[in-house]
Amino acid sequence: MKRISYLIILSICLLLVASLKVAAQEQEEEAVETGDVVLKPMPQNKNALFKSNEEIRYKIQVSNNTNQYQNGKISYIITTDEGKKIAIDSVHLSIRGSSNKELLIKISPKGAGFYRINFIVNLPEYDDTVRRVFGVDPEKIRSQLHKPTDFDVFWKQSREQLAKVVPSYRVLERRDLSTDEKRVYAVEMRSYGDILIRGWLVIPRDGKKFPVHYRVPGYVVTLKPNMDNDDFIAFDLNVRGNGNSKDVINIGTDIYSVVNIDNKDKYIYRGVYMDCLRGLDFLYSHANLGIDTSKIFVEGGSQGGSLALITAALDKRVKLLTIQVPLYADIHDNFAISESYDKQVFPFKVFRKYQSQHAGFTWDKFFSTFDYYDPQNFAPMVKCPVLMGIGLLDQFCPPRCSMSLYNHIGSTNKEFVCVPNSTHEVNFNYFMFQNLWLREKFRIP
Amino acid sequence: MKRTFTFTFSWCLFFVLISTFKTFAGFPIGKYRNVVVPTFSYYRQTDRFDISGNIIKGKPGASFTSFSANLYIGYGISRRLDIIATVPYLYQVNKLAPGPGNTLINQGAGDLLVGLSYNLINFNYIRYLSVQVSGIAPLYKTNGGESALGLGNYGSEVKLMYCGNLPKAIFDKGYFNTELAYRRYFNAQGPDQVSFTGTFGYPLNKHNQLSLDILLFRSFSSNKEFNNNFYAERDYAFFKPQLNYGHQFTRRFTMFVGGFYVPFGLNTGVGYGGTALAVIKL
Repeated sequence: MKRISYLIILSICLLLVASLKVAAQEQEEEAVETGDVVLKPMPQNKNALFKSNEEIRYKIQVSNNTNQYQNGKISYIITTDEGKKIAIDSVHLSIRGSSNKELLIKISPKGAGFYRINFIVNLPEYDDTVRRVFGVDPEKIRSQLHKPTDFDVFWKQSREQLAKVVPSYRVLERRDLSTDEKRVYAVEMRSYGDILIRGWLVIPRDGKKFPVHYRVPGYVVTLKPNMDNDDFIAFDLNVRGNGNSKDVINIGTDIYSVVNIDNKDKYIYRGVYMDCLRGLDFLYSHANLGIDTSKIFVEGGSQGGSLALITAALDKRVKLLTIQVPLYADIHDNFAISESYDKQVFPFKVFRKYQSQHAGFTWDKFFSTFDYYDPQNFAPMVKCPVLMGIGLLDQFCPPRCSMSLYNHIGSTNKEFVCVPNSTHEVNFNYFMFQNLWLREKFRIP
Repeated sequence: MKRTFTFTFSWCLFFVLISTFKTFAGFPIGKYRNVVVPTFSYYRQTDRFDISGNIIKGKPGASFTSFSANLYIGYGISRRLDIIATVPYLYQVNKLAPGPGNTLINQGAGDLLVGLSYNLINFNYIRYLSVQVSGIAPLYKTNGGESALGLGNYGSEVKLMYCGNLPKAIFDKGYFNTELAYRRYFNAQGPDQVSFTGTFGYPLNKHNQLSLDILLFRSFSSNKEFNNNFYAERDYAFFKPQLNYGHQFTRRFTMFVGGFYVPFGLNTGVGYGGTALAVIKL
């Protein structure tokens, strides 16, 4: 009898040891930090989001990687996301050589919003700063919609103009890119202004009908055939000026977002937004390829996040929407936040440069055009289920702007994932969750 | 302070691929989704292990054979909570000796198990730690508290499950499922049962896989009496490895066939047999 009992106990022990080892390995894989003295601030709430009535706590792991005793201080400075200083404090630090220490920092509750918190270590021979952001009640953040009165008419007319363009679809099988498991097709079509745009369609061979993963591109990003999807038809559209859709518009990242920005009717994004709808037209007109038109989800990150949202807002044929770090969201607040940056970053780096080089192009003029294109103004029209991912350290798409957009989304079936240590990206966990979320919504086994 | 991110996207794809191979146990079913798993098993024994683990040759012509059909149904109530139920139907042939009149045949429903499974922790959506609490009810009548179809008592079970992808350091692909269960039957003689199940699956290609199940089972009771029919036995133990081959016909339908043997045990039969099961995802 004892032998079986011993074997059971041994198996459990082996299982526990293996689990702990794997968990430790995965943590190590996440990030590697170097320096004489390393600070690793960990918010009490893993996603760094707190309630407005909740004390904000950070556990700071201090690692002294030198052999010397270190004596100094650790400070923290909290500012709003517009750079207004609201708290500063410091604690004494003494740590032996080659050792670790943990400090707990408690911050009084804050109102809804996002806050920058910089942890600074000052030692006689070493200084360093770790920048973090935490959020408080992000779903209570409210922003003003700057929606022009003729906004709906403007986009209705745009769609009518798109409808007048004969798509002239072409679908060409690319055997050189196809595999035993998937067929790859190069597709092209005419879009707004009779511009030729192209994309890639990848269809799994082992099935007759599939839901569709429709991906729209980031800022001047080239989308290639997506061979990674086994359960979806992958449709990747290069909007005008992106990837293989550069026949007419072939410009760099420095000026793409300011092409005709002084004229709302001719601004480049009018055609870009319409390109995304034309992509949807393509899918609906090619159900014979195995496209399940009742299960189309649109996805994108950064500019693609906004394009995806606008596609879902303007066309109810989109059944699910997943977006990450949506660019240009809440452009007015983004402008205010970007003013506080030490060094300008995209997108206002480009807008500011254009504004400084064009006399008479005031910020009022900028907004009089961009208010027609701010994704936030489209958000109330989105009625399908939505998943959004944000990075708290994102300066391109500040988390407040993303959440403002999110809070304006018209669908009540919406979720967001917050990645605290990411900049203009989300992480592996987000995509794992997105995969499960899609399967849940589409009931995919 | 320099930060180096080592995240790679391929992990994500890896999981998506492997998830199509997983069996039903241990993994959360998923909100609003159903899993139905009909299983057909064949078990036969002629010899037995005594209380010390020595093999005792069976009487000439004596054997115990069981054919069972088991239906598992699982439904995802939420992302973490599943409700599950299993209903077995048994057909047993217990030959005590050669010749007519020496064979006992019993058939009927066995012990119903209904439970809730809750995912305690997901480790980056790669591995899952879950707990399952179940109740057991006999679906058959007993004769003086005894039946060939089971112990004839109500019971309960608590099971801890840990499953997910195999660490890359061990295999570049594959999955595992481990279950540690404690079961108690509400009877003065118990039994109390502890079991450990380990499953290791390895995909051969997109549609085919091999898996190995290992079952360590220990049943404690004050009633040490040997019964040729292990369904009605109370104090015994065994180790049972099983090798399976699985084929995914469609995204919703996968079949496994496997064979097992009991290489050592205590106070139980030297069993062998096979199973065929289908995993149907609705």
